[in-house]
Amino acid sequence: MSVQQVATIGPRSGTDPEGTGFLERQLAEITAPAAPQRPAGRIAEAPALQVADLHKDFRSGFLRRRLRGIAGISFSVTPGTIFALLGHNGAGKTTTINCILDLVRPDHGSISILGRPHDDPRTRARIGYLPERPYFFEHLSGRELLAFYADLLGVPRTDREGRIDRCLELVSMQEFGGRRLSKYSKGMLQRIGLAQTLLGDPELLILDEPMSGLDPLGRREVRELLLDLRRQGKTIILSSHIVPDIEMLADEVAVLQSGRLVATRSLAQLSEGTGYRVNLACPAGRSGDDLAGWRWRLEGDVQRVEAGPVDALRELLDHCHRQGRTVLSVDTVHTGLEDLFLQLHEQEENAR
Amino acid sequence: MMRTISTLAVSTFRETVRDRIFYLVGMFGFVMLASTAVLSPLTIGAQGKIMTDVGLAAMVVFGMLVVLLVGSNMVRKEVEKGTIVTILSKPVGRRQYLLGKFLGLNLTLVSMLGLMGVLFMLMLLMAPGSFSPAYLGAIYLTLLELVLINAVVVFFSTCVSAPLAAIFTLGTFVAGHLSQSIRDFGALQGTPFQQKLFNVIYYLLPNLEVFNMRGAVVHGETIAASHLLLATVYGVGYAGLLLILAGAVFQRRALRG
Repeated sequence: MSVQQVATIGPRSGTDPEGTGFLERQLAEITAPAAPQRPAGRIAEAPALQVADLHKDFRSGFLRRRLRGIAGISFSVTPGTIFALLGHNGAGKTTTINCILDLVRPDHGSISILGRPHDDPRTRARIGYLPERPYFFEHLSGRELLAFYADLLGVPRTDREGRIDRCLELVSMQEFGGRRLSKYSKGMLQRIGLAQTLLGDPELLILDEPMSGLDPLGRREVRELLLDLRRQGKTIILSSHIVPDIEMLADEVAVLQSGRLVATRSLAQLSEGTGYRVNLACPAGRSGDDLAGWRWRLEGDVQRVEAGPVDALRELLDHCHRQGRTVLSVDTVHTGLEDLFLQLHEQEENAR
Repeated sequence: MMRTISTLAVSTFRETVRDRIFYLVGMFGFVMLASTAVLSPLTIGAQGKIMTDVGLAAMVVFGMLVVLLVGSNMVRKEVEKGTIVTILSKPVGRRQYLLGKFLGLNLTLVSMLGLMGVLFMLMLLMAPGSFSPAYLGAIYLTLLELVLINAVVVFFSTCVSAPLAAIFTLGTFVAGHLSQSIRDFGALQGTPFQQKLFNVIYYLLPNLEVFNMRGAVVHGETIAASHLLLATVYGVGYAGLLLILAGAVFQRRALRG
């Protein structure tokens, strides 16, 4: 059972990092209905991406042995949403993305991006792509690299510097734009990689492991950036093998295993299965008996209460408020997506 | 489209500058000076001729070094490092990419030969009476030859590894200078099949002797304008065909993001 801390407050966290409203905002975020925040009027639009029955095998070695890449992948992505591809390393996420971007020719299947053929270079003017391993020309500075990509995108020269400034600002790299890429840390390369995806003001962003290499602050910034881009109506496809990242961002998730798409779910459906634990201050001498009916245990001066799903969490928090109890933190103890992922993994293991 | 190609070409050119390819121009100057210093006392009265011979030959050698060292690796390196996937995720066609790379290396060759040419002319001016405008024609034909060889290396680098591309290109360069001999050898063979086979090889290989007027100009011959024109059409046409083939191969290539 994994424990993901979604809010830490009170004595355990030291200070409230974002002012006095932090707890309220975090709790509101947890207890709010998990429906995706899609811009109105977009649901009925044509898919931003349509992938149908995609197959790709690779040949390996002297005898050209056939290795399965992906088999029968089909999904469609609603405009203005965040769609996640979840799977272990080698599940077929990157191969799927490579096919979408025409870096790899599928053996079978069809792909259309924003209603256009995926292999038309002009379609790619409307896409921003961050590869899993963002290698760039190390002899260039961040600004020079962005200028190079801006030229490839056909950004007007008069507009170029302004756009580079904006993109550097969006990924908090204004200070480091003049530094050579060879001097960048992995996290900085990831950020400059994200900046280049935004240069052409794309309608569709395809991000392969966008959080990789980032420190916690960087992850949070990128998360906020992606949510902000979704609010602007951009469609985002991200691949990851990290469940919490997907839970925090995605509207819909496709789970890949051994090159096959084994499940597609909306996060709204899955969040119904999420369970929470509330950690309460319980100083010496205070009994926790006011929580009769809840399952709890005492660890030192912390009372850990199993709250259950989101409705029960809301009820427990109301109860604590009425009783004047101090809430230290709320943990996510198991999630619908995690359960689904583990269940599918077990099924696959058993089938072997 | 033109902006995309020119952006890629300029970026390739800058990379060669950063990789200190132009140090070779310095080496060329050194070879010229050394040849003057060492050979002049041995060749009284033919100093200019020796300098011309050494200078024009050195241009081919240094040009080939650039083509083999840079050209064989420029596409392959980007494929292996993964820089290519970000480029091709932009509105850049694979053929445009290859053309940009090819033109970028040509820009390097033009700049190098230009600098070497200036150095060459300056040194010839110091040896009075040895300058001829035909030398300019010979340098131009050398450049055309290197452009064609550049297309050969781009073609091979889309099919095989960088070391193999360099070896195959060098083989093509040598065979290209011997293609007439290959045809003559075929004509001496008994069977019509052998004659046809050697003829096919002759026509498939680039005839690089078309561009080799270096020996002729050293001995005072001039180059006809019609020869320059035909060599240009032949060189550009052959390079164009190779690029079309390279584009077709590269178009099908799987690239990993």
